[in-house]
Amino acid sequence: MRAPSRGDVPSANREASVTIDTGFVPATSKFKPDYSPIDVSSKAFWNKTSEERDERFARLRAEDPVSWQRPVEDAVAPDPHDPGYWALVKHADIVKVSRDAKTFISGQGVMFDLLAPMFLEMSQSFLAMDAPRHDHLRRLISSAFTPRRIQRIDEQIQVAAREVVDSFAGAPSGEIEFVSQCAELLPVRLFCDMFGVPGELREQTAKAAADIVSWADPEALAGRSPAEIQLGACEVLHGIAARIIAERRKNPADDLFTNLVQAEVDGERLTNAEIGSFFVLLSVAGTDTTKHTSSLTVKAMTDFPDQRTWLREDYDTRIRTAAEEFVRYASPVMNFRRTAVGEVELGGKKIIPGDKVVLFYPSGNRDSDVFADPDRFDLSRDPNPHLGFGGGGAHFCLGNQLAKGALRALFRELLTRIPDFEAGTPDLLGTNFMRGVKRLPFRFTPER
Amino acid sequence: MRIVVDRDRCTGLGMCEAEAPDLFEVQDDGTLKVLNDCPGAGDREAAESAVMACPTEALSLVED
Repeated sequence: MRAPSRGDVPSANREASVTIDTGFVPATSKFKPDYSPIDVSSKAFWNKTSEERDERFARLRAEDPVSWQRPVEDAVAPDPHDPGYWALVKHADIVKVSRDAKTFISGQGVMFDLLAPMFLEMSQSFLAMDAPRHDHLRRLISSAFTPRRIQRIDEQIQVAAREVVDSFAGAPSGEIEFVSQCAELLPVRLFCDMFGVPGELREQTAKAAADIVSWADPEALAGRSPAEIQLGACEVLHGIAARIIAERRKNPADDLFTNLVQAEVDGERLTNAEIGSFFVLLSVAGTDTTKHTSSLTVKAMTDFPDQRTWLREDYDTRIRTAAEEFVRYASPVMNFRRTAVGEVELGGKKIIPGDKVVLFYPSGNRDSDVFADPDRFDLSRDPNPHLGFGGGGAHFCLGNQLAKGALRALFRELLTRIPDFEAGTPDLLGTNFMRGVKRLPFRFTPER
Repeated sequence: MRIVVDRDRCTGLGMCEAEAPDLFEVQDDGTLKVLNDCPGAGDREAAESAVMACPTEALSLVED
């Protein structure tokens, strides 16, 4: 496995100098209560079904809303000095921390699991940075994701969705595996179109992006170690990025790779390793999340047939509100972490510099202080201040408009062409990060 | 009524643009342009929605 050459990698010092004035803030076990008896760190917990996990989060919200938890069990790269973390499960606390980037930084890592340092270097990009460098990097591509820009490519999104559904709607068997034959296809195509990933590299891109979030799934690992699958997938994506970078330096095009190779940030061009890391981040964020959301949504429409009927009655008027509920109900990204660099009180607990706090978004999305009847899939829910794209702040999901555009287009096709579809029992991805679906049986009356 | 943008907070996400396309536009360089920073009463509701929608709390309305 090729490691990026040292000269290509932004040095730790350079990152630190633009993120935290004080340097790395170490964690401490001082001033901590006992670990909460309501545990959300064990492997056993993360192997439970989503419904069982939701029940435990509901208990935490009621009994111990800011709980001190032991370190995640069976971490990929265990840290013997890690004392644990604060679990934030209430909507209000998740919003508060997300919006207070001065106290809660991302520059010391944002993943709940403890992952291999080389993997993080190759995959996190601006996700694990703070202002100002976070803002400078993100701004290189952000204008491509604004509501106006996404509106402008709405027709292109609809055509792509139509072609995806064309590929199976007439199948005489009336049966497909939804994840691979439908859910994955649209976001991968939209992502690759925007970045300028050529056709022959798309399947490889999608596979590697899916591998990155599969580090805790025994079937996906197939005997490999978690670090191996993640680093292998990063190598593939950096390799793809390097090929496209070389091509775009010669022949600029109207795509995001061209933005990145031409960009100057803080007076310097981005290195291949930086662009590669950017590409890894966006390939996962741009493909996997929407894939799981649409899979979980066809399942929800099967479980709540009245909601499907309601939406079909006036699709064009209702879909914008409904798509927000797709995202709330699915909550594909289950957590991100922040590190406190200041002292603050949350839920009566004292958070001090160095403390890790983990934001559990699906829990915030089921918080009955904010959502009436939170376990109900209610497509008319409005307002719907869900945390499916994060709790706000500078790291709020860049692709939220694209994701919602893709969901609107895909469900328009499904609900007009094969409206009687039934989803079976999903085969869920083993993971503590993504509420992912590996396989989902899907039946429908074929289109004539 | 005047729209004030905190440039340190704004990340150019454009949620405001979705709520009030006549008042806001994100430029190609990712910066936010306020198309009309002193909107009339007819735009008040859209302006308030935009302020509410901003996930970085970069927008505010000031009464002159």
